[in-house]
Amino acid sequence: MIAALRQGGIDMNARFIDWIWNVRGSVSLAPGQSARQAFDRLDPLFHEYGTTYTRSDDTLVFEKKDQPAQDKMSVFDRGVLTIEDGAQGPVLTYRLTSRILLFCFLAPLLFLAFGQLSVAVANWEEAHMTPAEKARIEKKEAAKKDKVLPQHPIDKFLGAPAPEAPKKDEKKKDGEKDEKKKGKGLSPTPAYVFAGIFAFLYLVGRVLEDRLVHRLFRKRLNHDALAS
Amino acid sequence: MTGVVVGKRVIGADSPVTVGWENIPKVEGGPFKRFFFSWFQPVALFSLLAFWYYAPNSIAKASTAIWIGIGFKALLLALEWVNPRYESWKLTWKEFVVDLFYVGLGYTILDLVDHFIGSDVAVTAIQNNFELDKLAWFTGLPLLLQAFLILLIFDFGQYWMHRGMHNWYPLWLTHSVHHYITQLNINKGAVGNPVELFLIGLGIGGFFDFLPRAALLAGAIGMTTGIYQHINVRFNVPRWWRFVFNTTEHHSVHHSRDFEGSRSNYAGTFIFIDRMFGTCVDGEAELLGMEGGRRMSIREQMTYTFTEGWKTMKQKLGKSGGGSIDDLPGGAVPAE
Repeated sequence: MIAALRQGGIDMNARFIDWIWNVRGSVSLAPGQSARQAFDRLDPLFHEYGTTYTRSDDTLVFEKKDQPAQDKMSVFDRGVLTIEDGAQGPVLTYRLTSRILLFCFLAPLLFLAFGQLSVAVANWEEAHMTPAEKARIEKKEAAKKDKVLPQHPIDKFLGAPAPEAPKKDEKKKDGEKDEKKKGKGLSPTPAYVFAGIFAFLYLVGRVLEDRLVHRLFRKRLNHDALAS
Repeated sequence: MTGVVVGKRVIGADSPVTVGWENIPKVEGGPFKRFFFSWFQPVALFSLLAFWYYAPNSIAKASTAIWIGIGFKALLLALEWVNPRYESWKLTWKEFVVDLFYVGLGYTILDLVDHFIGSDVAVTAIQNNFELDKLAWFTGLPLLLQAFLILLIFDFGQYWMHRGMHNWYPLWLTHSVHHYITQLNINKGAVGNPVELFLIGLGIGGFFDFLPRAALLAGAIGMTTGIYQHINVRFNVPRWWRFVFNTTEHHSVHHSRDFEGSRSNYAGTFIFIDRMFGTCVDGEAELLGMEGGRRMSIREQMTYTFTEGWKTMKQKLGKSGGGSIDDLPGGAVPAE
């Protein structure tokens, strides 16, 4: 009894968060459609590369490994489809598991970690830079700033603007003098941008893939029902 | 399957490859659509060249290039949606996420690695050690020539690195992962084992000094020509363009499941390098990938290079006789 309760508790807890990587839903079967007919009509979806499945009277369990992009259900790695009796008649219910949804959900954390790593490395570099190295970098930058850049006569003739040291560098030198020295080129900004992109993509994917697979099942069941 | 003889090789014996430009389908649809997809590539190239050539110094900077790059990629994604080359290559949410993950790695952790062990670090170390200056005469050349040379020097190196990856088993281990993709989309160029992504980025450009505007022009040329390697858009590519630049057609042959087809079209931007060295095949293929279209998970993409290398080493060490690495099963035929 206790074990059963504990099991139930675990399931409830899992269900509380497993919507992140699980898609659940249901589709009504066409009037008069049996479980066997319904599974027959969904059958082609499980004949893709890397897909294995088992079928009983009212349940279909599938698993996908290394599924190609062309597989209409490639976003899912395994799932259970069941025919149940609903209030309006038989219903196909499904629970589909997706590793890529979980991956996309966690990806922002990974990129935030990359961002923090960039900051840490930049700080470490600044702390460990010898005075000689600092002097060399400053000398190089000064030389770069004072350098007169040549312009070829052809470019002058064609009207290209006369070259000068990039403004961006000067600006940085004035406003972000310290940033320049510490970890040159190590900015956490791209990592934060990608963290944001993946958070957004997760929301899009969670909604989109839910709808797409629902539509796929509904079309398969109804289309074939019409055809038959 | 019989295949088609190209030079001394038979292309398309293992998997379908369309050989010859005359056999490649044209853009279908109304006059505007055909006009647009015939002229888009040259117009984009020359417009950006003109922009970077004449833009005032206050605009001609890296941040502008980044925004233009993002906008251009967004536009190409829209074109993939409007006029796909193959329905079977249509971008899905999952593919987009995976591709973007690798793009993200390039901008973050790989950038960090490059900061310590990239080719620019090596070049700077050599210059400091031997008190060498950058080759300053380079900046005295006309802008467009500088831009072209920047690209050519990099692409020439990349050609041999890429060809090496298809012909030497240890390098092939790093590159093979990229060949498990089953469709081409604009971000697919970023997909691969991080070791390969690091290797393919190596170059000797650091030895040359060049004008900032020349670098921006080189970036613009690279973006408006090389990006089409991995794109799912049907274009009517001008004859001169496909003679000079790599195209999706060329690169799809390179990614085909046909062994000989995959050992063609190695250059990144300039397909004439392949023409010079006899590795160019003009054509296209729809069926891409390895092992009959097996798609690797991200985890396997990350580990395959090392696990396969380890397996091979164990086999080699387990052998009683000597022999080279090329004698090993699996090691004998890289670039499948």
